[in-house]
Amino acid sequence: MLWVDKYRPKTLDKVLVHQDIAQNLKKLVTEQDCPHLLFYGPSGSGKKTLIMALLRQLFGASADKVKVENKNWKVDAGSRTIDVELTTLSSTHHVELSPSDAGFQDRYVVQEIIKEMAKNRPIDTKGKKGFKVLVLNEVDKLSREAQHSLRRTMEKYSSSCRLILCCNSSSKVTEAIRSRCLNMRISAPTEGENFCDTKVRRQLFQPMSMYIVKVLEFIGKKEGLQLPSGFADRIAQQSNRSLRRAILSFETCRVQQYPFTTNQPIPPMDWEEYVSEIASSIFKEQSPKRLFEVRGKLYELLINCIPPEIILKRLLYELLKKLDSELKHETSHWAAYYEHRLRLGQKAIFHLEAFVAKFMSIYKGFLIETFG
Amino acid sequence: MSQDIRKWFMKQHEKGTGNGNTSKPTKPSTPEKPTAVTSQPEKLVQGVQECSGRRKTSKYFAKDGQSAKDEMDVEEVSAKKKGQRGSTEFVSDVKPPPGKKTHKLEMDDEDEDFVTPTSRKGSTTPNKKLKSGSGKGVAQKMVDEIDEGDGGKVKSNSKSVGSGRGRGAKGSSITPTTAEGMDVDESDAEDMDDKDAKSVKPGGRGRGGRGAPAGGRGRGGGGRGGFMNFGERKDPPHKGEKEVPEGAADCLDGLTFVISGTLDSLEREEAEDLIKRHGGRVTGSVSKKTNYLLCDEDIGGRKSAKAKELGQVLIFFFLFFTGFLTEDGLFDMIRASNKSKPKTSVKDSKKLVDKVAPSPPKKSPQKSEKSKQAGDVSSDTKVLASAAVSSKRKSEPSAQNLLPWTEKYRPKVPNDIVGNQSLVKQLHDWLVHWNDQFLNTGKKGKGKKQNDAGAKKAVLLSGTPGIGKTTSAKLVSQMLGFRAIEVNASDSRGKADAKIEKGIGGSTSNSIKELVSNEALSLNMERSQHPKTVLIMDEVDGMSAGDRGGVADLIASIKISKIPIICICNDRYSQKLKSLVNYCLLLSFRKPTKQQMAKRLSHIANAEGLQVNEIALEELAERVNGDIRMALNQLQYMSLSMSVIKFDDIKQRLQSSSKDEDISPFTAVDKLFGFNGGKLRMDERIDLSMSDPDLVPLLIQENYINYRPNAAGKDDNGMKRMSLLARAAESIGDGDIVNVQIRRYRQWQLSQIGSLASCIIPAALLHGQRETLEQVIDAVFMPIMFHYNVYSLGERNYNRFGGWLGKNSTMGKNYRLLEDLHVHLLASRESNLGRATLRLDYLTILLKRLTDPLRMLPKDEAVEKVVEFMDLYSISMEDFDTIMEMSKFKGHPNPLDGIQPAVKAALTRTYNKGSSSRVVRAADLITLPGLKKAPKKRVAAMLEPIDDNIAGENVENEEETPSDTEDQEDDDDLVDPEKKLQSNLESLNSKGIKVQMDLKGSGSSSARKVSSGRGKGSASTSDKKGVVGVLGLLRKERDDISIYKPQVFFLLPLHFGKNDGLCY
Repeated sequence: MLWVDKYRPKTLDKVLVHQDIAQNLKKLVTEQDCPHLLFYGPSGSGKKTLIMALLRQLFGASADKVKVENKNWKVDAGSRTIDVELTTLSSTHHVELSPSDAGFQDRYVVQEIIKEMAKNRPIDTKGKKGFKVLVLNEVDKLSREAQHSLRRTMEKYSSSCRLILCCNSSSKVTEAIRSRCLNMRISAPTEGENFCDTKVRRQLFQPMSMYIVKVLEFIGKKEGLQLPSGFADRIAQQSNRSLRRAILSFETCRVQQYPFTTNQPIPPMDWEEYVSEIASSIFKEQSPKRLFEVRGKLYELLINCIPPEIILKRLLYELLKKLDSELKHETSHWAAYYEHRLRLGQKAIFHLEAFVAKFMSIYKGFLIETFG
Repeated sequence: MSQDIRKWFMKQHEKGTGNGNTSKPTKPSTPEKPTAVTSQPEKLVQGVQECSGRRKTSKYFAKDGQSAKDEMDVEEVSAKKKGQRGSTEFVSDVKPPPGKKTHKLEMDDEDEDFVTPTSRKGSTTPNKKLKSGSGKGVAQKMVDEIDEGDGGKVKSNSKSVGSGRGRGAKGSSITPTTAEGMDVDESDAEDMDDKDAKSVKPGGRGRGGRGAPAGGRGRGGGGRGGFMNFGERKDPPHKGEKEVPEGAADCLDGLTFVISGTLDSLEREEAEDLIKRHGGRVTGSVSKKTNYLLCDEDIGGRKSAKAKELGQVLIFFFLFFTGFLTEDGLFDMIRASNKSKPKTSVKDSKKLVDKVAPSPPKKSPQKSEKSKQAGDVSSDTKVLASAAVSSKRKSEPSAQNLLPWTEKYRPKVPNDIVGNQSLVKQLHDWLVHWNDQFLNTGKKGKGKKQNDAGAKKAVLLSGTPGIGKTTSAKLVSQMLGFRAIEVNASDSRGKADAKIEKGIGGSTSNSIKELVSNEALSLNMERSQHPKTVLIMDEVDGMSAGDRGGVADLIASIKISKIPIICICNDRYSQKLKSLVNYCLLLSFRKPTKQQMAKRLSHIANAEGLQVNEIALEELAERVNGDIRMALNQLQYMSLSMSVIKFDDIKQRLQSSSKDEDISPFTAVDKLFGFNGGKLRMDERIDLSMSDPDLVPLLIQENYINYRPNAAGKDDNGMKRMSLLARAAESIGDGDIVNVQIRRYRQWQLSQIGSLASCIIPAALLHGQRETLEQVIDAVFMPIMFHYNVYSLGERNYNRFGGWLGKNSTMGKNYRLLEDLHVHLLASRESNLGRATLRLDYLTILLKRLTDPLRMLPKDEAVEKVVEFMDLYSISMEDFDTIMEMSKFKGHPNPLDGIQPAVKAALTRTYNKGSSSRVVRAADLITLPGLKKAPKKRVAAMLEPIDDNIAGENVENEEETPSDTEDQEDDDDLVDPEKKLQSNLESLNSKGIKVQMDLKGSGSSSARKVSSGRGKGSASTSDKKGVVGVLGLLRKERDDISIYKPQVFFLLPLHFGKNDGLCY
């Protein structure tokens, strides 16, 4: 089993990172009724882990017995019926689903399917709780309409159903929904104490969370591995403050080479490597030809199922690394601009390409201005 | 105008040589105007004009005895001329030196062209010397001969001397090119070597100026010739770089042109337009009437061959084939007309024409009248005519003028109907004989008659709208004294209702029935009142929905009918009419030809005192697409504001109409991005971009990078272009956003804004010259239908098909595969992760865990380890492939590199072996009605075949057979064919042969077949269908071939495809 799954804390008590939040959650569900919850935070910070642990806390081991269903729903939308296919993960007490998978039909998922689920009382009434839990993933990717439909559902069926929403960015969740939930911000864990440059920061983070390095060392100890000094640091550094990423690349290193050496290369994610190639090729030349090549590479990433937002974000990250500070602000501005348009639009490549073209134009102008 | 032509030739001559011998013709080219020249040249001019005059008339009357008369005329005149002319070089024309014939025989075909005129020109010695030479020498010689040829033209027409005439002319036309050092003789073979040589096989021209530049490249590359020949004309090499001259409106009047090959700077359509605008006529193929063959390069194609042939043969028909003409020549002709204008007014020149062409015998008076009118009248008759016209015009504005012309000139008798006369006649005959056949004959005879093939009780007229079907039907019946009862779509024509049938004829169908069945009675009793009746069923193919059972009822009616029934429909092959056609005499109306229409229109124009030349009317006829009603309306409208209507007016007026349907997305993009894209009007741009609102933006997006924008102007560092690109890209993004609004929220009113943002703005920013971006890395854009991007030959400079469709489809497929993997992982209960997380974070480690052991550990151990891991996470073999597929990046090593095929095979075997004993975790995905417990694998296997049927039960089965759209190859098998392919490629490549390969993308089975067919090598791949791969790869790219396995995907609606392995 992968270490990420193997060492995933199963109960709230065992949670290493975000212990404080875990404790609060535990108190919340043991002492009183559970409100709707909204977990938000960057990926790899432990939202899902917390949610699962929470469910286990609520329903006991039965929350583990999940089954996967790939359901076809026929939604009657006025004049026509719409087929919606959705994968759900359900136990007797909870259902987990990602309504955003339905694309622009997510509205129907929320209006019909979720409502349907929320209406039904749990079959197993001898359970401790008189409600079932709906876990909705990627709420921030829901369309506005879907979010609007969701808020009514949240109120109307709150007696029989609790919603746990999970998303990366709370800014993309409407105010109305946020106010109906207990918001839990799950921040990304810090890499390690060496990364806290100031004492203040160290103090700030120390009590709240454990460091990624600590987790890695914990795993290393459990696995009986010899960790060269600084190795965990490097992994943590590359992980971009994502614990999951750190553990995964830790294991990748393990698969690649053991015993570890201090300067062992940490294999990057395949797609990140590719994005950084794109970035450097943009820096090398700003021409229509290069733009065309970049388009081909972007297509390649998209085809390999890398979400366009992630591509754009990563690309910006790579560009900013090598960019003159004067341009950083402008570049970020345009990245944000095109990221927004990316969401409004449908054909991601258009917007990615537009960003690249824009950047090339700016950068070229800058180069000419600076170096003549 | 021929005067102008003459002038041009002379100019050429003067430029070319200082040959004193031809001094006379040079004179007119001196600054003085023709009128100021000595009498002799003037006469020459006259001669030419006479020629053209005659030409014009005989163009119309070329047939029968007419030509003989013409001949006489011309001969007479020329004889006269001869006398006047004295002993110039033309004498030599009159008496061709005896050597000429031998020369001719000696030379091969090509040489002959140039030699004959020379030989004719016995006295000009320098030319003779040059004659056998080629290249420059020829050029010079040619120049000399222009004159000769030209002079010869005048005469040879009458004298049938001149097989050499056409030749000479050809020489002349070529002169401009020879000046560039082109070797005319070898144009076909050799200009290929020339870098600029833009030769195209004239035969290979096709739609819209795109497609394979095959001609050029193909031939250049030797054996690859035929491959892309279905392709099309190339772009003019200097497109838009020359200034298009404006000439006198009818300087080309009476001349007939044929355009062949690619012109230097004009698109064919532009050239056509230019000629037409100046009164010339453009035909599609070379015929006796052709005056010029317009072509810039050779040519060697069918048209020129035919032209040459005609030049030879048709001398005997007194033909008008004057020669080959280059685009520059054409421009000069037109320009010359302009220059001469101020001096000799149009009238003068026209007068000349008329004088020289003394009223040709008129077989069809109307046409000749026409030509006279065009000539603006100097002969008496014409004066009269014009007087008549003007008087008519004055007297007109009376009561009649109020009527629309369509009413006013509605055919009164069947003979007035334009076109389809034979059909009208048939209809007439049928109607005449109807009563005899079906009523008046005795009962005995009836059966017999009905067996007669011609004897149908009804008739079915079919044809496109507006060509006079209804009118014909009405007129014919009216003429024969029938009372016509018309039933059309505005009447309910359903099956007669049983109830009503008994009683009052409430619905029309009932009244028809009544009518039809009672006619015999009424016929007998009230013969005087309603002698005969005919039923006209209009628009029978429109009988649908509301008219339930209409056709069946109609057939029944026909069977019992006692009156003739005329049915009219647009599409006689319509399914609805299938049964009806058996009972009807079928008459298919065709569209009247544009000539027919123009004839009728000119009648009307004459009657209305409107001056329109025939070319313009033909254009009008063409534009309205056979709809004479529309043509008349347009004409009437235009008559309100002008009394003389020229070609341009009509073109302008009807610009947007018709021809629209010809616009393919590619042409639209070509036009938008074209050199002149900036000059298009906004509505034109919108029309273009709306020609396919889905596809055009994609094409724009795909290709906008390739254009070097005019707007950038001088742009040393490419900065302007880059910023224009950025702006265009943003606008394209806008278009996408608008498109979302349109599609998702059905805001269709935004569609114009959408096309503005996605097409028009980018095109407006970037229109200009297209250039290729040498692209080595990415060759996935393989627009199969229209283009072949053969990367070994460099990218072709034509718009690619939008790559987005293909990419999107692949992406969709990959997402589905990823979702499968995701579900399996979830089902393993080991992990609870999102799909994005799976791709972004997990995939790397999964790949490592799956492949690294295979690479490093001994086979058995590795396989065991991997299978164990796969079982743990419920990863199936398909998922394994998915992971591999998704970890591939172009330019990066294949994740399967370094794994022995044998190991992979062992893995597959082991996995499959284990699958029978394995407890399938995903089996708990299945919920069955009445079954609480998840069934085990065996049950699942049983369920599989009926998977689809119980889709409602939400069955998801991990072990499901691979879905149709995914293609999977057993990688162990894969490697070998790939290698085979590669070697094949190499061999083919060395031979310079392009191989078209069909790869079938229809599912895993075929893909499997391919991979297993390792013995067959490329043969096995070629039995795949749906994908055309082009083998022709750069050597360095070839290394990648083994990396990419053929991957197949689908596009909507066409089966485009790509084959990664082959593209690179």
